[in-house]
Amino acid sequence: MNKVYVYDGTFLGLLTLIKYLLSSKIKPYNIVTSDYQENLFLEVINPHLKVMNNISEIFYKMFDKATMKRVYYVFLSKEENKEIIIYYYLLNYLKYGYALHRMRNLKCVSKVLEISRKVGNEAHKLKGFVRFRELKQNILYAEINPDNDVLEIISRHFKKRLKNEYWVIKDVPRNMVSIYDKKDFYLVSGDDVKIIFDLSESEEEFSKMWQDFYRNVAIKERKNDKCRRNFMPKKYWPYLLEVRDEL
Amino acid sequence: MELREKLIILADSAKYDASCSSSGSQRQGNFGNAHMAGICHSFSADGRCISLLKILLTNACIFDCKYCLNRKSNNIKRAMFTPEEICTITLNFYKRNYIEGLFLSSGIIKSPDYTMELLIKTMELLRYKYHFGGYIHVKAIPGASEYNLQRLGKLVDRMSANIELPTESGLKLLAPDKNSDKVEKIMHYVKNKRNKNFVPAGQSTQMIIGASKESDLDIMQKSENMYHNYNLKRVFYSAYIPVNQDKNLPSLLTPPLKRENRLYQTDWLLRYYGFKVSDILDKDNPNLNILVDPKASWALKHLEEFPKEINKCPYKELLQVPGIGVTSAKRIMKSRQYFNLDFADLKKMGVVLKRAKYFITCNGRFSLNKDFLNSHFIEANLVLEDKSPLKENNHQLELFHE
Repeated sequence: MNKVYVYDGTFLGLLTLIKYLLSSKIKPYNIVTSDYQENLFLEVINPHLKVMNNISEIFYKMFDKATMKRVYYVFLSKEENKEIIIYYYLLNYLKYGYALHRMRNLKCVSKVLEISRKVGNEAHKLKGFVRFRELKQNILYAEINPDNDVLEIISRHFKKRLKNEYWVIKDVPRNMVSIYDKKDFYLVSGDDVKIIFDLSESEEEFSKMWQDFYRNVAIKERKNDKCRRNFMPKKYWPYLLEVRDEL
Repeated sequence: MELREKLIILADSAKYDASCSSSGSQRQGNFGNAHMAGICHSFSADGRCISLLKILLTNACIFDCKYCLNRKSNNIKRAMFTPEEICTITLNFYKRNYIEGLFLSSGIIKSPDYTMELLIKTMELLRYKYHFGGYIHVKAIPGASEYNLQRLGKLVDRMSANIELPTESGLKLLAPDKNSDKVEKIMHYVKNKRNKNFVPAGQSTQMIIGASKESDLDIMQKSENMYHNYNLKRVFYSAYIPVNQDKNLPSLLTPPLKRENRLYQTDWLLRYYGFKVSDILDKDNPNLNILVDPKASWALKHLEEFPKEINKCPYKELLQVPGIGVTSAKRIMKSRQYFNLDFADLKKMGVVLKRAKYFITCNGRFSLNKDFLNSHFIEANLVLEDKSPLKENNHQLELFHE
């Protein structure tokens, strides 16, 4: 019977399971989280592994940095079978080494490169598309709706960029919140934070000025809506002050 | 005048400058930083990227350039920011992540150096008083002293001057107060002084397309010379939009966007694909083909050099194939060391097969019948397949993103 392995849904949990599978030479049919869909023809095994403290060090010794970054980005993606793709990618890495990522003819390679690029692209786009509103007590607050789980990647960006501001970014569909306290950011569930959406005194003025600017910088003789939607998909518009009224 | 009204006037006056890139600089301030790859924050209704707060210090000007909305003979509402007002808007926009930084240009008031002093004052406030670490692009004022160029250049990421027209005769006709010597003096100065603390992101320039009679050959030769002489990062091409009436200006119904697009493509060929202007244009063919992109046009004229064998031909020749870009050429070079590439593999590498298929073989095989491979057949097909005739080039392209 095809064996399906269960992990705890965290990145380190996945690495721990993959380490276990590789060292016991088990080839899983699939790897899933505990909320998998039951299926008569599959044998589901949950090894209940304890996440090893040094698991990421072990992986960084076995695989190079760029590979680990790609694998992490794939883990953050919305791709359905991302765990098994990661497993096969790492398995093949042990066989071919660093040359693996040149072998786009292997499906696991082209998949990993394609998915990690998509996640990287979305994170890059959102570094621009985040719109903070200034709340009372000088807290900057933004909501986002990314396809992939890029909250941590963009938090690292804003930790450098707005290091002397308090800011909060909420991933609305995942109900996750990133909170920055001028030292570091923390990712917590949206249920654990209560945000009082009380705008600062100057917030209206500047958000209006931004919308004025947005309208006036466009050259009407060059209007090109298709091109705009290409670069700035409508999906993101509900959270973009300058275009949400056009929806 | 209220700040909001000033912003509307001075953003409106600044919008005809095509440049908006914010890449090429790494800077960390107490407030903000510059991102090496640049970031687009929004896209306006014309599809252009908004990365920087693009405004003029003032739209008042002592010059009377025929094509310019802000020329002194135009009867329009004038406004002027104080340096502190520019700081207020920049910092508040930046904090809310609307922008990557500031792109400040200005009409010329009193004298070039007087205007420069105001620009310098603004930048000093931003960098020293507010410790702003975001990206700043400033337009230097032609005719300014070297002393002021030096002061301004060390405060900003990019400092540049627009050449506007490719020939001196064009300038004489349309911009009688300007001359290319003054602009090129700035370019020369920036090129010689540039280092990590002085204009680290380099310089760019802009030419207006279709306001004067110059051919594409004139324009591209000017670009080639400027890239060569001044190490410019970019030349921007801006389709002329008729904002004024003048006997010396053409009357256009729509801006020549397609021509602008072809010029950008040619510019890309010069900078990344190893082409020279003389490969593409000459006295007998001084203008680009509007129907077919310049690389495909070149390939059609040199069919005897094709097909290229994907698994063998050198990098330089891969770049000559229509449908193969820098990124996919690099991927091909890396991958073919490990396995033989077939047409299906090329697709995975981002090669646009519907364009490339006429010009390549994989392991000696064509993907279509050889009898069809004559220039008329190929050209007709390429024209038919070009479904995005107005694809814009003036957003920031992420090149070599591997």
